[in-house]
Amino acid sequence: MERNKVLLLFAVLAAACLFSLAAGPAGWSNADVILNLRLPRTLAALAVGAGLGLAGALFQGVLKNPLSDPYILGTSSGATAAAVFCFLAGIERTSPVFFLAVFAGAFGATFLSYWLARLAGRLSDASLVLAGVAVSAFLSALVMLTLTSVRERSFSLLYFVLGGLYSVQPGVLIASSLIIAAAGAAAMLRWRALDAMALGEEKAYHLGAEPGRERIIFFALACAATSAAVAIGGTIGFVGLMTPHIVRLLTKPSARTLIPASAVGGAALLAAADAAGRSLFSPAEVPAGVIMALAGAPFFMWLLWKNSRGTA
Amino acid sequence: MPVLRASALTFSYGPEPLINGLGFELRSGDFMCVLGPNGSGKSTLLKLLTGYIRGASGSVHIAGEDVFGIGTRELARLVAYVPSETSTPYDFTAREMVLLGRTARSGFWRGYSAADEEAADRAMEETGITRFAGRSVNSLSTGERQLAFIAQALAQEARVLLMDEPTSHLDLKYKSAVMALLAGLVSKRMAVAVVLHEPALARLGCNKALLMERGGGYSFGPVPELLTAQRLARVYGLPENSPLLPK
Repeated sequence: MERNKVLLLFAVLAAACLFSLAAGPAGWSNADVILNLRLPRTLAALAVGAGLGLAGALFQGVLKNPLSDPYILGTSSGATAAAVFCFLAGIERTSPVFFLAVFAGAFGATFLSYWLARLAGRLSDASLVLAGVAVSAFLSALVMLTLTSVRERSFSLLYFVLGGLYSVQPGVLIASSLIIAAAGAAAMLRWRALDAMALGEEKAYHLGAEPGRERIIFFALACAATSAAVAIGGTIGFVGLMTPHIVRLLTKPSARTLIPASAVGGAALLAAADAAGRSLFSPAEVPAGVIMALAGAPFFMWLLWKNSRGTA
Repeated sequence: MPVLRASALTFSYGPEPLINGLGFELRSGDFMCVLGPNGSGKSTLLKLLTGYIRGASGSVHIAGEDVFGIGTRELARLVAYVPSETSTPYDFTAREMVLLGRTARSGFWRGYSAADEEAADRAMEETGITRFAGRSVNSLSTGERQLAFIAQALAQEARVLLMDEPTSHLDLKYKSAVMALLAGLVSKRMAVAVVLHEPALARLGCNKALLMERGGGYSFGPVPELLTAQRLARVYGLPENSPLLPK
């Protein structure tokens, strides 16, 4: 990537951070609000956005499918369902058991979607999306069923499920950030295998990458990043879908630049979306997940339209 | 020593055998065409040869070693394979695509070495695609894109090249260009096996032919003896005086 494109990417990130630090009824006037409320929240948005952007780039590459992202594949729903059950079981958000359970939920849901799509015969872009939708819908229904039957705490859990960045525990933020950074670094070490997978499994095999192994590795990394993001902010959709597409306009499609750029781009996108949710409808506050869905759903429709006219 | 040897290969998707006891040998400098009607297992055979499809009985040896004993990376240094069509939703440039042929020759995380860049440039020159090196593969015509994937296979610097119908979507000019390119590789001691739809193309340099029949039968031998009008007519189910067959 050329130097001015790197600069542009970081300028966008800086602008999103400034927006996020300034957004709110009090504006720039109250240093206390900025430091104690908006700064942690901005950091949370950056971490969640980076994790989801990274996961989107990995899924889109390893599945050779531009429509995939952790939300559409059911990864986020699996993580959210596991998180809700952990809360109800009294497992603390900072405990390693919590992170392991959330990861297991994410990984299980993703492989279930993948396996269902494979059952339908040849793995096509559409069958993967359909399978993901089915898995997500089922898991969300399970979560809703659980929330309506356990009355106590259900309101705060509902906010978690809807996806928002209200109250962030420093311990969770630090643990999640470390997981996302580690997943990103591990993915960078295999960028060439991810590029080979973007040509399809058959081509990847003949170029010297073992498709079955690469799929498990990149699913695991994407699920780790997604579950770390979900641990902070619940289900926030479309960051993983949109970010790599936007970033590809700036960088080349090669994973070598796409992986880091998607993490940075996702961070900027979610910080801006969260700030927009706080300021556009002030004094009411719209969750970042809702803002992302408002922007992301039309984007997804545009992608579908573009794909249907594409060369494939 | 043959660089590629298949012996007693038997494979089926259902109860009917698709490939039955098939065997042949290729040495460096051999240029083999694989012919046969649709559904005779030509494309499947290529993927059995590289071990991508498993479950066949019999064996495939590459450079003397059983194909299943060779790691994926090592295999990609020995054999390059070009499918009849490759697509990707992402706009890789032709040069990036060719560089991906170096996957098995460079570490997973390192950038490309000077040797990789050189191999890619050479492969693009040989295939005549240098002029659109910087263009997205998705913006190329079918013929140009096919050449880019052939260049990718050349950049692999393998000893065996397997191609599945490289000429099927191409016009006559590209067809003869691809065949001439392959004949050139053979003269550099590569072994090439290519699935073709038209027997006439075999005359553009092939020295061996593998003629596959529906139901698992096959014949293998030198082109002039094997590809007689009589035999082709029987295998393809055509009258012997059909203008599509060689005289």
